[in-house]
Amino acid sequence: MNPPRPLKLLKPAARTATPPPEAASAVERSLLVRAAQRGDVRAFASLVDAYYARCLRFALHMLSSRGDAEEAVQDTFVRVYRALPAYVEQESFEPWLFRILANRCRSAGARERRRAEFVEFGDVPERPSERRHDESIAWREEIELALAALPPEQREAFLMRHVEDLSYEDMAIATGAGISALKMRVKRACDFLRLRLTEDDDARRS
Amino acid sequence: MHDEADETIERIAAALRPLPDVDPAQRARVLVAVAAERERDRERRATRARTIRILGTASTVLAAGLVGALWMRASVPAPTAPRATVAVAASPAVATPSMESPTEARLATHGADGISLQRVQLVFRAPAARHVAVVGDFNGWDVTATSMSRDPATGMWSQTVALRPGRHVYAFVVDDSVWMRDPRTPAAPDADFGRPGSVLLVGQP
Repeated sequence: MNPPRPLKLLKPAARTATPPPEAASAVERSLLVRAAQRGDVRAFASLVDAYYARCLRFALHMLSSRGDAEEAVQDTFVRVYRALPAYVEQESFEPWLFRILANRCRSAGARERRRAEFVEFGDVPERPSERRHDESIAWREEIELALAALPPEQREAFLMRHVEDLSYEDMAIATGAGISALKMRVKRACDFLRLRLTEDDDARRS
Repeated sequence: MHDEADETIERIAAALRPLPDVDPAQRARVLVAVAAERERDRERRATRARTIRILGTASTVLAAGLVGALWMRASVPAPTAPRATVAVAASPAVATPSMESPTEARLATHGADGISLQRVQLVFRAPAARHVAVVGDFNGWDVTATSMSRDPATGMWSQTVALRPGRHVYAFVVDDSVWMRDPRTPAAPDADFGRPGSVLLVGQP
């Protein structure tokens, strides 16, 4: 009779059975997209739930009015629904969604700028109010003003990169611009914001 | 840490990252807009299918008319008017009821594309409601398009709508906020995004 073979110590598997939360969420979203493509309206509603707040955040930073931002996001989801049958899963869903959203924001932004031509400068405070006391609110308002002063394509690139955490490859899908052009836009946006907000910070402290 | 980011850029990004508060009503409006788009898409597909059927019928009739005209021309010396024959025969569905049933013809109207519409009265009981509207594929799910009238004696709300023959999905919107299906007709199995709907089948006039 052969002696029993010694137990072999197994190394922990390189891949664990439970995927990390982000991966699980990515898989889940991919399943939702596929189900929505097949016409499952509940899956589409779940996609709206998953992305609505992010889309609204982007639209609010791109547009000055909440109403316009909400309208742009609503229009985005209607267009996503219409375009879903043509969506191919080789490109990831997020940049595809952001491409539609960015287009809607660009159109709404152009309308806002046309409307703004009829507003006299005296009606709108160019600088934040002197009455503010809360430091964090003041900082936030300074940022919003500085962001609004950026050319739309730089603002869009900055938000996608630093707020939405998209890679340059995904940004290229979302904007249709080349990666080097996008890097340049982000760099210029960063230079402008750094300069403007550092000055504001110094002025506030002095 | 991002490639271009330093402390200032990180602070800016951190201030911009918090997600905004989402108004649940706005999210609901998104889903209603998508549901309306879905219905418009169904309607577009149905219209395309109808157009193809009509074109198919028309081309068959046209071909038969041409053959008939050629035969008449060959056999009868006096020329006939084949185009008039074709025009009448190409739309039998529209022409037939008005000739055969004058009563139905009064009830039926015609849509912009010449298809007969049937007048259907929708009734909904909601004595405590301040406003009731009917929404459906026939009015683009527009809450403002078709308000209903209240009978103070019975608390019944009613409205007459002109519908194409076929299947329609609809619902009632009470006080601009509560969606309710018509309890008198079958529930739509594909209620959009959890919103209730009813199915109405409208026959040919």
